[in-house]
Amino acid sequence: MSEAFSDANTVQLEIFPSRLLKPETAQSLLNEIAEIEGIIRLFIHGPRLPQTVPYGPATGVPVQHPGNKVIEVAGQAIELAVYVGGIRMEVLDADVKEQVRDACDRVLPVSFEFREGNFIPRMQTVSDYAKRGPDADPIMIGMTDPKGKLSKHPICILKPEQDE
Amino acid sequence: MAYELQYYPGATSVAENRRKHMSGKVEKLREISDDDLTLVLGHRAPGSDYPSTHPPLAEMGEPECSIREIVEPTPGAKAGDRVRYVQFVDSMYNAPATPYFRSYAAAINFRGVDPGTLSGRQVVEARERDMEELAKFQIETEMTCPALAGLRGATVHGHSLRLPEDGVMFDMLDRVRKEGDVIVMHKDQVGRPIDKKVNLGKPMSEAEAAKRTTIYRVDNVAFRDDAEVIEWVHRVFDKRTIYGFKPEN
Repeated sequence: MSEAFSDANTVQLEIFPSRLLKPETAQSLLNEIAEIEGIIRLFIHGPRLPQTVPYGPATGVPVQHPGNKVIEVAGQAIELAVYVGGIRMEVLDADVKEQVRDACDRVLPVSFEFREGNFIPRMQTVSDYAKRGPDADPIMIGMTDPKGKLSKHPICILKPEQDE
Repeated sequence: MAYELQYYPGATSVAENRRKHMSGKVEKLREISDDDLTLVLGHRAPGSDYPSTHPPLAEMGEPECSIREIVEPTPGAKAGDRVRYVQFVDSMYNAPATPYFRSYAAAINFRGVDPGTLSGRQVVEARERDMEELAKFQIETEMTCPALAGLRGATVHGHSLRLPEDGVMFDMLDRVRKEGDVIVMHKDQVGRPIDKKVNLGKPMSEAEAAKRTTIYRVDNVAFRDDAEVIEWVHRVFDKRTIYGFKPEN
């Protein structure tokens, strides 16, 4: 997998719906995507949902946002920390890209933009080097959550057997 | 012939709505009771007296001042109310008002208010009962759509984000929810849970919001469509640029 990853022919995609997605819609879309062979890595992008009110007179009061749900993707429970606004991913080739586009057509109830580009870093930066050292797993590059606690919520490996 | 205030140039629906907001001649669309309003503002318990910072002006004995004789104090100032705020956030997706037009509406049509205009939110500070009068006016009329605008005292994030699937502007503190076909507020404006759910009424449909908005957008009424507005904006910029320029030498 890491060879395929380092291959510059991999394709990076962004799914950008015209509305922010409910957790239920996000769950069905992610499940459709998880079915597709050839997805290398993926992350969900969107406005963060706080557990407690961060500032103001109500600081510390629990929020209990309906977007902050546990969804189940490919048999694994994932707690959504953001309201899903977009999905960025790296896939093997253009065939997989078309399959992802079909999945979006099937599942998304709203119009969406679907574009190819560079969304996840392919090369290690100096900061990555400082964080992870010289022998870092290349698949983890650019997969950090800048505001998240990576040690508390490690990146979810959906299909570990495929990585072998 | 008496002079009639013109407020804003332009022939498009957006220009017309801007004139309506500035003149205060807006349509009333919904009702919110005084107790519900007090509850969502969160400054005092519903039904309680207005706390005061000084005795009523009549008891204080004011110094002799010609201006004080000319200007009648507002009811809040007369009673010695505290200064309190109300803050609105309007979505960029065709919300009826924008921070500037809320400020124009407040400053032109109400006395004793201190509007603050920011890019995504608009705050008005005033004596408590004067502020409540303004908040009630803005919530009840076409200046506010409960889904596309919101009362947010803290954590205003959301005005520039895409709308969620249900069309209710994103709020990370989840103060407002769509229940059935109405919008319900179950927290006060800073995010504290309140005792009862306050019904803010039905949200505007997409078509109605596009009709009532004061926002020029290329996917609705584009700014460039309004020749008279463009002419006046150019004129203001032109005058501002050459103002003070004296080519005497």
